[in-house]
Amino acid sequence: MLQLEPQNPLIKESFTTVLDKEYAPISLDRIITDFDFTSYKISTPTSKTTILFSISIKCWKDLLNYGVLELVHSRYSQYPFITIDDRATQDPGYDLSLIVDLQAYHQVIDSVNVDELIEELSLLKRNCFAAPFLQAFNRYQDLSQNVKIDPNNLYGEDSQISSNEQVLKLDYRDAESIYIKPSHDRVTVIFSTIFSDEIDKVFSKVFLQEFSDARKRSIQKAPQVINSHNEVPLEIKHLVHDPDNKDKVYITFVLFPRHLNTEEHKWNSITHIQLFRSYFHYHIKIVKCYLHQRMRFRVNTFTKILNRARRDVDEEEMRAERKTASGRRFEQRV
Amino acid sequence: MASAQTPAVIMDNGTGLTKLGFAGNDSPSWVFPMAIATSVASSGNKPAAPTKPSFRASTTASSTSSISGGNLSTGINKRDMADLDFFIGDEALEAAKGPSYSLSYPIRHGQIENWDQMERFWETSIFKYLKCEPEDHYFLLTEPPLNPPENRENTAEIMFESFNCAGLYIAVQAVLALAASWTSSKVTDRSLTGTVIDSGDGVTHVIPVAEGYVIGSAIKNVPLAGRDITSFIQTMLRERGEKDTSLRTAEKIKQQFCYVCPDIVKEFNKFDSHPDMFAKYMVETVSQRKIEVDVGYERFLAPEIFFNPEIASSDFLTPLPTIVDQCIQASPIDVRKNLYKNIVLSGGSTMFKDFGRRLQRDLKGLVNERVHSSERRSGTKSSGVQVQVISHKRQKNAVWFGGSLLAQTGEFRGYCHTKRDYEEYGPNIVRSFSLFNAV
Repeated sequence: MLQLEPQNPLIKESFTTVLDKEYAPISLDRIITDFDFTSYKISTPTSKTTILFSISIKCWKDLLNYGVLELVHSRYSQYPFITIDDRATQDPGYDLSLIVDLQAYHQVIDSVNVDELIEELSLLKRNCFAAPFLQAFNRYQDLSQNVKIDPNNLYGEDSQISSNEQVLKLDYRDAESIYIKPSHDRVTVIFSTIFSDEIDKVFSKVFLQEFSDARKRSIQKAPQVINSHNEVPLEIKHLVHDPDNKDKVYITFVLFPRHLNTEEHKWNSITHIQLFRSYFHYHIKIVKCYLHQRMRFRVNTFTKILNRARRDVDEEEMRAERKTASGRRFEQRV
Repeated sequence: MASAQTPAVIMDNGTGLTKLGFAGNDSPSWVFPMAIATSVASSGNKPAAPTKPSFRASTTASSTSSISGGNLSTGINKRDMADLDFFIGDEALEAAKGPSYSLSYPIRHGQIENWDQMERFWETSIFKYLKCEPEDHYFLLTEPPLNPPENRENTAEIMFESFNCAGLYIAVQAVLALAASWTSSKVTDRSLTGTVIDSGDGVTHVIPVAEGYVIGSAIKNVPLAGRDITSFIQTMLRERGEKDTSLRTAEKIKQQFCYVCPDIVKEFNKFDSHPDMFAKYMVETVSQRKIEVDVGYERFLAPEIFFNPEIASSDFLTPLPTIVDQCIQASPIDVRKNLYKNIVLSGGSTMFKDFGRRLQRDLKGLVNERVHSSERRSGTKSSGVQVQVISHKRQKNAVWFGGSLLAQTGEFRGYCHTKRDYEEYGPNIVRSFSLFNAV
């Protein structure tokens, strides 16, 4: 109903036509955007059968540090007709290009799972954003094997070793970041966001409250969500330069081993978490729409009630003698 | 918050179709029906029930707080979360086939009628279809000519207060269509003066524009458009007793085979002497069976209804060239020459081959006749009036394309009203927008 898909529908659509068996090559030049200042370009600069698919992400520099290239190579190099250009040499301004050679593709078309390929291409943004998460998850696995569980630590407090663990930071928007901190029994993901609008901030509070309430009620498997409006969470205290910034809101997700035990769960967690901010804003906005709808409805009702107070003036009254407010008479000319 | 890189979003919400996309592209990313399917339970009993009892309650208790309290609780129970249950576009048409959704079109005659639905439509199209955060993008919306300023204000309220969009520009569709014609090689001076013939599915408008301003008093409507051509073809197919006479088939025939001829009588003769002019259209049915439909005189007769409306309608009889002429004659005298010189086509129903050429020829005939008669009467020689109809490749989505063209220029952001402006001055700032300078 109000779910945001991690795939980009426009990329999906473009490649569904392009990778069709009976596709007649035409020259393409398309710009597509995605959340968090991500933009794509699908073009055919050299020949109509060579498709250049480039992506630019705001926090590409951070992603490079967390091994995004290895990840992209591992996801896309299984297709022999896709060449990966790490620096987007053909598309200035973009960060990474995938070059799809349609001629080579048509030679091996029968051995390719086209649906899966299209899906994979439309998930390019998620795959790029997955790099730091995967790195953190791997670190968590190392830690969990090495660190003995302390039987005295009943409340799951951070042990000495894990509190010094490096925090992966991703400046994915202008002044907003994602922090990921692995430890031996959990992975903590913290979002810092800023609301441009005061009203949004209020909505966000209510909305986040619902997260923790829902968890108490029914969905116990969901990760724990902690929301702090002005205080910087302890995990990232040393990384935040402006701890007194009152506009910033911190939202913490705690991923437990059950979210990370299989490959499928891992990707599932990544997909949902990296979409969180957009999802959050989407819902705040739809709530406003809903309230506006109610307000319009209410105004209409009041207008109706007011209109009932209006007296029907009949013909006779119209013609009768009338006075002004000061008591002067005047005659109406018909 | 919008960074320099993020392209502006162009949204052209028409009566029948909505076109969405990013500035810099040459065609819209999404074109889908301007429809929204809402859950029946929510929309059905919304306006009726809760008003009356609360009114009675207020007369007895005579306290406003008690009404609102009582009203509110019934409202919540009645509507609940079903208000968030809706689909837009093609998904809406699909959902409306079932029993639990009802389909509605929030825009009527080019103007937004249902703001609740429109707000939700925008919400979904921005987040779900375009996948962009409105706070990061500038928006260019379109409006029909003679849109009341209150509608603009409502739009601005939604765009800024619900979506916090970074900046907003609302442009008149006809002006954007003029801008789109700049891609044609015939256009040399890139002015925003000209006559726009905008023919979509429902209605055809002839709109004179002078220096970027619509001359409201001279706008003319023609009640013939794409839908009428389709139904004309359908009637012809039925009269001939073809095996498949669905609206879909008629529409496909219209798009694939129809063209405008210079002379009907000659064209009839041509068809009779050259049987290869008759075409065949293959219909693929659901059961994989192929039905062959003959396509005959409707190839040139269907678009002819613009030039000889009497063949299709009984109450509207003025040909399109005459309407264009009347429209320009109703405009101020000092712009008429430029209006004749720059007649721009826009919309899907102007896509027929040689449509522009025929219009230009007929209009030239009308104008020359007038020039001659005035020359005879006054005895002086006129310098003549140049009539030029411009057709170009982007006619189909001309409005959207014009928007894309203007919004990708560097100055676009300067013309927009930003969220900060809105908060400073209130919704009435959108009553005026500075015009794009011809680049």
